[in-house]
Amino acid sequence: MAKDLRKRSQSKIRSKIRWGTAVLLLLLVICGAYDAPAYYNSLAGKISKSTGIGIPQLSENPFRLGLDLQGGAHLIYQADTSDIAESEQPAAVEGVRDVIERRVTGIGVGEPNVQTNRVGSDYRIIVELPGVTDIKEAIGMIGETPILEFKEPNNVPPRELTAEEQKQIDEYNGDAKQRAETLLKKIQDGENFEDVARASSEDRTTKEKGGYLGFVGKNSLYFQYYIWGASSAEGDISQTVYDGEDGYNILKRGSEREGENEVEASHILICYLGSAGCESPQYTKDEALLKAEELYKQANADNFAELAKENSEDTGSASIGGKLPPVTKGMMVPAFEEALMQAKVGEIIGPVETQFGYHIIYKESEAPSKEYELWRILVKKETEFDILGPQDQWMKTDLSGKQLDRSEVVTDPKTGAAEVALNFDKEGTELFRDITERNVGKPVAIYLDGQPISTPTVNQPIRDGKAVISGNFNIQEAKLLSQRLNAGALPVPIDLISQQAIGATLGAQSLAKSLKAGVIAVIIVMLFMILYYRLPGVLSVVALLLYIALTLSLFKIIGVTLTLAGIAGLVLSIGMAVDANVLIFERIKEELNEGKTLKTSIEEGFIRAWSSIRDGNVSTLLTCFILMGFGTSFVKGFAITLSLGVLVSMFSAITVTKTFLRFINPWFKEEANWLFLGSKKNKNV
Amino acid sequence: MIDVINNRKIPFWISGAFFVVSVALLLFVGLKPGMDFTGGSLIEVTFAEHRPTITEVQDALQSIDLGNVVVQPTNEMGMILKTRFVSEEEHQQILENLQKAFEVVGNDVPTEEQLTQEGYSGVVLTNKEGEEQTLVKDKDGNFISPEDLVTKNKITEERVETIGPAISSHLRTRAVKAVIIVMVVIILYVAYAFRRVSKPVSSWKYGMTAIIALIHDVVITMGVFVILGKYFDVEVDIPFIVALLTILGYSVNDTIVVFDRIRENLIRFGSNKFIENINKGINQTFVRSINTSLTTLVVLVALFLFGGDSIHYFSLALIIGILLGTYSSIFLASPLLVVWQNWSQKR
Repeated sequence: MAKDLRKRSQSKIRSKIRWGTAVLLLLLVICGAYDAPAYYNSLAGKISKSTGIGIPQLSENPFRLGLDLQGGAHLIYQADTSDIAESEQPAAVEGVRDVIERRVTGIGVGEPNVQTNRVGSDYRIIVELPGVTDIKEAIGMIGETPILEFKEPNNVPPRELTAEEQKQIDEYNGDAKQRAETLLKKIQDGENFEDVARASSEDRTTKEKGGYLGFVGKNSLYFQYYIWGASSAEGDISQTVYDGEDGYNILKRGSEREGENEVEASHILICYLGSAGCESPQYTKDEALLKAEELYKQANADNFAELAKENSEDTGSASIGGKLPPVTKGMMVPAFEEALMQAKVGEIIGPVETQFGYHIIYKESEAPSKEYELWRILVKKETEFDILGPQDQWMKTDLSGKQLDRSEVVTDPKTGAAEVALNFDKEGTELFRDITERNVGKPVAIYLDGQPISTPTVNQPIRDGKAVISGNFNIQEAKLLSQRLNAGALPVPIDLISQQAIGATLGAQSLAKSLKAGVIAVIIVMLFMILYYRLPGVLSVVALLLYIALTLSLFKIIGVTLTLAGIAGLVLSIGMAVDANVLIFERIKEELNEGKTLKTSIEEGFIRAWSSIRDGNVSTLLTCFILMGFGTSFVKGFAITLSLGVLVSMFSAITVTKTFLRFINPWFKEEANWLFLGSKKNKNV
Repeated sequence: MIDVINNRKIPFWISGAFFVVSVALLLFVGLKPGMDFTGGSLIEVTFAEHRPTITEVQDALQSIDLGNVVVQPTNEMGMILKTRFVSEEEHQQILENLQKAFEVVGNDVPTEEQLTQEGYSGVVLTNKEGEEQTLVKDKDGNFISPEDLVTKNKITEERVETIGPAISSHLRTRAVKAVIIVMVVIILYVAYAFRRVSKPVSSWKYGMTAIIALIHDVVITMGVFVILGKYFDVEVDIPFIVALLTILGYSVNDTIVVFDRIRENLIRFGSNKFIENINKGINQTFVRSINTSLTTLVVLVALFLFGGDSIHYFSLALIIGILLGTYSSIFLASPLLVVWQNWSQKR
């Protein structure tokens, strides 16, 4: 009775083991098919065809590959949030993320991934672009913030110098003057002018040439020295230090020669729609010509100034009767110059066409001018300009791309040129209205990325919040600008602080190499296990295959991104997975050596080896968990795959191997034979 | 049975010598920090037909103010340039200079017939000035400039990595933090594993000995990398740190297993034959220690030989560390335990 019961419970256990083995083998097949659906599908297709049994096909669900294996770019930007209140910084950085996401949509083959990350007080934006081929373009799309600004003429006078700054200038200049006088003294004491210039002049362009300026005419940059030259004789050196605009000068005069003829003239300009610099065109080109011809007929020496005042559209000269400053050759546009130089003194000519429009010109006088050969030694002065910097022609307004509602490409109905139309939001409409009201008759400037692209003149206030940028766009440029404006400006500036980009070819090579290394590693490990541990070794190999299939399936299901480091981690975990089997088999061997039966040895071996297996894996897992928090993709990839591998290996090495060993156990006698662990018989210890 | 304990002087001398030399190397020569920690840029390019010499490449980049440019040939046609951190503009400038210097634009523009045969198609467009222009489309319908068709020795950029100062300093602090945390966790773990007090050796002595063995493993691994850095320009980067930490996690358990066995023996057979029991424990775990390390080393050697450049030195560090870990848990940790025990008994 008791024996019967034992038998029954034994057969129950037996069937349990059989079932377990079958389930594990099935799991191996399913996981294998899931890992490599292409192979499975072609095989299933063949079987279905030859047997007529319909075997379901699996859908392809590829592994998620990291950028280092499929190629792509990993960019890290730092957001400059220094101008924003701390409480608003997270929102602003999220805004950056949204804008970048819109800009990169559609770049590359995979789905771009944009994340924000806070490190201490720094905000970073991480952009991952899988499969992107033109990284330069991608970086351009992300980084090139279309900064749209509206500026008005700057009427604010430059600030006054502070007393301290004035004192600083005075001190510097006093010193400069003294230095210049010392130099002058040296020359007066007989030192060569050129040598002193070479040694001490602060005029970099002439220093090497001993201070030689060349022949200086009335209209040259050096007009103030020309005056000194006119009052000196050949070989003279200035008696005192000459106080010029840029500094203290010691001058020397050489020979004199006849210069270009100097001409005095007046002109009347009639400009037209489309001519350069025409601020308020009244005429078309044909009308302008007619008007100019009419004026030419009227004009004579007496009424020329009057006509110019009334009609000339050269804003600079009209008010003074069309009078131009004395000119020599090379100072005017070619067409104007040619006509003027050919005309006789007292003659009125016209209409002359230039890019500015039609000119009527009155040549008043022509006289030869003198030019003097000059040298100079310069000791620089400090001026207000050095401290205050250049006065900006334009002044910033509050209106920018931020208040833009949308923009679109339009064409100018008259010229057909592409333009970008802007529609402001409520705030922008008000700002734009104020700006245009303030500046009627004056130009405003539209800046794109720090460059003025258009400076239209305001004819009347614009109150509907609509503006048009008419830069010199072609249709593509206009479209791109409009797109970029619509994508939105970045709320804060960003700076590319790290980029990693890997070409698809290199990625594929890395993948192939690491897979090759993995396959070789697995084969050697399997051979080792079979040769060293015989039959149990074979079972551990099956367990290892199941381990690999299961881990890969898990990677797919959880969506682990496989990187090179990740594959390294997986391969390493394969090496570690068999460690558990080694521990178990060694323990079984020990138990057999102590004279226990095969069955007892197997059971004992598993129980006794467990604590070692657990301890060994715990320390590796602990390290991996710490590494996962490290943040770098290399470290994360490695730590995730290694820890997943270690966890799965605990299952495969223990449960799977145990089931298999129990399954084959009854095939053998009580004692282990040569198939087991190399011991033919129980050796005596 | 190998009498490890009574022959302990040999490994003590060997390990001691290696340890002292490694510490000296670390102090006086130092590891060569890689781009991860110093910041910088790495650009890998391949040349289609002819690879210029290192000096030619450096000369081509002379006009850009890059400081010291390290140029290393790689594979058959590749070259790796290492410089300070470059901005995107400078990066493009570098590529442009290389293209100007080494790409050759031929003047044998292919005929229409050749183009059609190769799957290209021409599209005639009219530009703004009303002139006709022929643009060439490739098989995939992308426009390509005629120059591309005749460019010889085309340069392809395979890989770019730039790491700015903000990132590298961040990585440095992160690495230090990770090392400290792993150390602390391992020490706690060892303390936990030996929490049950046993006679005659107190539990904390097991723990301390295990940690001394670990320090030995890691310091000598670093010593080897000082030499590699000095003579083979091997740089220490994030993967190296990861390797060191993995060694810590992996090797500590080798020692724990041996100690476990010793403790078990001491409990089972009594502490009278102290040295004999320890020797027995070592020998019982000997094959197991060797075999577990062997399987792990096999896969690491495969990765080292075939896994490609990026994980080359990562696997090497792991190989050295695991070899040392196995050695130290057998020949160093247990004998140290005996020495310590004898010493404290004498006092």
